[in-house]
Amino acid sequence: MTTTTPRDTNPMDATPTDTSNVADRDKARRWQQGGSEPLLKVRDLRVTFQRQGQEPFEAVQGVSFDVHPGQTVGLVGESGCGKSVTSLAIMGLLPARGNKVTGTVDYEGTNLLDLSDQQMRDKRGKDIAMVFQDPLSSLNPVIPIGLQVTEVLERHRGMSRKAATPVARDLLDRVGIPDPDRRLKDYPHQLSGGMRQRALIAIALACQPRLLIADEPTTALDVTIQAQILALLKELVEDTGTALVMITHDLGVVAGLCDEVNVLYGGRIVERGERHDLFAQPRHPYTHGLLASIPRLDAPRGQRLNPIPGSVSDNLPWTSACAFAPRCSQPIEVCTQKMPELVEQHQRALRCFNPVEANR
Amino acid sequence: MTDNTDVLVDAQGVKVHFPIRRGVIFDKTIGHVYAVDGVDLQIRRGETYGLVGESGCGKSTLGRAILNLEPPTEGSVTFDGVDIAALKGEALRKKRQDIQMVFQDPLSSLDPRQSVESLLFEGMKAHGLAKNAKEARPRLVELLNAVGLPEAALLKYPHEFSGGQRQRIGIARALSVNPKLIVADEPVSALDVSVQAQVVNLLEDLQEEFGLTYLVVAHDLAVVRHISDRIGVMYLGAIAEEAAADDLYATPLHPYTRALMSAVPVPDPVVEDRREQILLTGDLPSPSRPPAGCRFHTRCPWRQETKCDTERPVLRIPEIPGVGEGHRVACHWTEQIQSGEIQPHEVAPTITDASDLGAVDESLMGPASISEAL
Amino acid sequence: MTPSPMDPRPSSKKDRIDALASTAGTGTAVADVHVSAAGKVKDTGGVSLIASAWARLRRDPVFLLGAVITILFVVLALLSPWIAPNDPTKRMPELLKDLTPGNIPGAAPGFPLGSDEFGRDLLSRLIGGARQTLIVGVFATLFGLAGGITLGTLAGAFGGWIDSLVMRIVDVMLSIPSLLLAVSIAALAPEPSQWTVIIAIATVQVPIFARLLRGSMLAQRASDHVLAARALGVTQGAIVFRHMLPNSLGPVIVQSTLVLATSILDAAALSFLGLGNPDDRQPEWGAMLGTATRYIQDYPHLAFYPAACIIVVALGFTLMGESLREALDPKSRR
Repeated sequence: MTTTTPRDTNPMDATPTDTSNVADRDKARRWQQGGSEPLLKVRDLRVTFQRQGQEPFEAVQGVSFDVHPGQTVGLVGESGCGKSVTSLAIMGLLPARGNKVTGTVDYEGTNLLDLSDQQMRDKRGKDIAMVFQDPLSSLNPVIPIGLQVTEVLERHRGMSRKAATPVARDLLDRVGIPDPDRRLKDYPHQLSGGMRQRALIAIALACQPRLLIADEPTTALDVTIQAQILALLKELVEDTGTALVMITHDLGVVAGLCDEVNVLYGGRIVERGERHDLFAQPRHPYTHGLLASIPRLDAPRGQRLNPIPGSVSDNLPWTSACAFAPRCSQPIEVCTQKMPELVEQHQRALRCFNPVEANR
Repeated sequence: MTDNTDVLVDAQGVKVHFPIRRGVIFDKTIGHVYAVDGVDLQIRRGETYGLVGESGCGKSTLGRAILNLEPPTEGSVTFDGVDIAALKGEALRKKRQDIQMVFQDPLSSLDPRQSVESLLFEGMKAHGLAKNAKEARPRLVELLNAVGLPEAALLKYPHEFSGGQRQRIGIARALSVNPKLIVADEPVSALDVSVQAQVVNLLEDLQEEFGLTYLVVAHDLAVVRHISDRIGVMYLGAIAEEAAADDLYATPLHPYTRALMSAVPVPDPVVEDRREQILLTGDLPSPSRPPAGCRFHTRCPWRQETKCDTERPVLRIPEIPGVGEGHRVACHWTEQIQSGEIQPHEVAPTITDASDLGAVDESLMGPASISEAL
Repeated sequence: MTPSPMDPRPSSKKDRIDALASTAGTGTAVADVHVSAAGKVKDTGGVSLIASAWARLRRDPVFLLGAVITILFVVLALLSPWIAPNDPTKRMPELLKDLTPGNIPGAAPGFPLGSDEFGRDLLSRLIGGARQTLIVGVFATLFGLAGGITLGTLAGAFGGWIDSLVMRIVDVMLSIPSLLLAVSIAALAPEPSQWTVIIAIATVQVPIFARLLRGSMLAQRASDHVLAARALGVTQGAIVFRHMLPNSLGPVIVQSTLVLATSILDAAALSFLGLGNPDDRQPEWGAMLGTATRYIQDYPHLAFYPAACIIVVALGFTLMGESLREALDPKSRR
């Protein structure tokens, strides 16, 4: 079919604009050689929701991971896996009532879970910032974009309104909002979804946070806009050295962006690894199954997809079994008798009794 | 171009314009949203036609116009020799038996107060396929089995199922009246990743079993490419490029198709590191004020000084040797871009004021990709 | 993601674990825990929305309190002739002997609440009044509901000019203060009676119901499942009466319990203004309250008892309505 196709027609190796190649990526992985102290250490984080008249429900069941300065860590999983609850717990943004958070969230020696609301408010925005899925509902609809950026600068960096305005303008420019002088006065509803997400990132970056948590930042956006935002995030991480925790359900997004990937299932991490390693050799049947079930744009057509049977409602409780066992392609007897532990080995971690054979 | 006998759906010059009304006492039309603005499209019997594009490109509206759920403002939709766009009332209702629809959100598209049994029976009753639920029961069980659900599901209500199971019920409902064509509007985008493949496979199996023709409308290029035989790429109410699924991936010709394909993330770090994207700048223009000339010219890296902003390109077979049969593209400069004569350049981003008169209401378009909400 | 249980059926989960435990240890190395492709579907009958709402209501203390008050009131109303110790219409000789223009006798043996201004037993009149009050409340609500549903369905189902026409009529009705409208309608009648009160109050409720129903009907009209029914080729009538109306009635039903409470209050107001049922052989709380205000300086208890009855009954309906609203709200389900 593709007889005389010139070389540059395939979009995978087409020419224009963005140029992130392997060499650039290596720069971003300074944290690996330096053996630096983790910026954020999450240990045995548990979140239990207790609603009146309902049984308590443990959404996050002992999640532990590290984030080093400059590192991009991905939390991947489907709805109900606890990835977003984890991020909200780290940020101290869970509703004050109806839930219990235990474990430690160590940010440079301080356990964030011990901080008072006031202390946490000072940390948020200044040291740790967050970008949400829905940019429209995360922005205040009745305040111009510019003012929302300067507010953060005034509050956390003690700037005057006057001094903050040019900084806000530069921030909008930095995140690629065209004509930033005019956009300072715009209200959120006047911007498109992609521009709103940029504005939200500008607000998050206002205080040069050392850790940025992005919760499905591109899920509500179109593919071409998603590509813009991902390129922006990648560039920001490389330029500023901000650590990024990327929460998403999209394995494609993770593959291009994250240094280390945590796969969550039913409130626990089931597999962790460096992205090349993990995608090349997924060991957990869930990770393996997910990758096998996604149609790929670059794969030959005509192959049948290999879905994972059932849905999360078929899960077993982690306390007495592997939650994934009913949907697993290769369960063994022990899978339904006790919970597998997360075993760390060669910078990989795996929670499985009968992992998928390494294919190399 | 195509053998006329095996064309099941022939849409000619379809336009769907939504009036923008404003006024205190009397509503005055002050403009139009040009959701679909002149689309020709043929779907052959037994094939799967995929319609891709981003939100606001009019793909869902076009899908509904083909069912006449959204009456076209202009144009004709010939289905099996009958112009559906011209049908009304009882004739249209009867004709609906032949064309069914599968919706994006399986929960909201199932009446929460009806049991699965009455949901499935309703269409059969409306078309006189069965008199009462008892008589129809063997057929209902058969339908459920076809979509992989047990008989016990008949007595249950939509809220008692998982997302994937609900979508299966939605598909069974569409099948209940023995349709010839199924229009599936984002059939998997509301489902969890691990469940999407189940539904994709199910759709493929059913096509084979019942000899169905599909029109799949989706924003996920990978899913559409997997399931479709032919694909139409839509941009701002018009088809920018149309080709067989393999050809479209191998030789994307339209600048928008190239950008779209390069933007889709691939779950493989090796590919992700190597590939270079064509990043589009700026926003999608408002469909109430589409740009003159080629609709893509405001964001096109290959835009030329002439023609692009004045003349609207028509969908044509390009004069490029080796391009697959039936590969059509709406671009003035396809040949030159393909030969490398025209090189891409920087594009100054233009921004669209979302509060602009008649900018598309986002809730109306439906963010197609929110597969999970907190 | 969702902070609520993924699987709210611990019992089924337990069953499955038990089943797994029994199969375990049979020597096979591979566990037989595969789910079918579509996932598990429980092998039991379905639970409709109404059934699940009812299951929640049964455990809701607020609803139970409201229901107890309401049931007591209804029982009292039905059985009032047998419960009342004396004939509520008869002037009792025992009380009459103490009744002078300056004195209304208080509690006496056999008359725990004493006499009203005409020497009738106050307790018996309160008990007898329950029936009239119930009749006024229920019929005013029912008539209002019937009118509102008719108009709301017309507007919501057809849309277009019918919708505009109906809604303009409703707007006009809403623009007149409700009590003023009720007074005007009651005053139109050649002579006031129980039914003029009912019709006046019902008329006031019609636009409220109509607006409410039309709103939710319009939302249903645009909903995916109605579109799905249209795509399926279901007839227009079936779409309106099987899909749109049942899914729109929730807020209207809730509103009607609240309206029951307010229509009792409205009836009291009309009686107070002298537009109520003039026939005082049929005691009614509102009317009792109305006449008692004349003596409120010296005998506040005459006003207090009927007022307290009205408040308690109105509270009962309101509590029921509020918890019903919560139970029917799809967002609170799961």
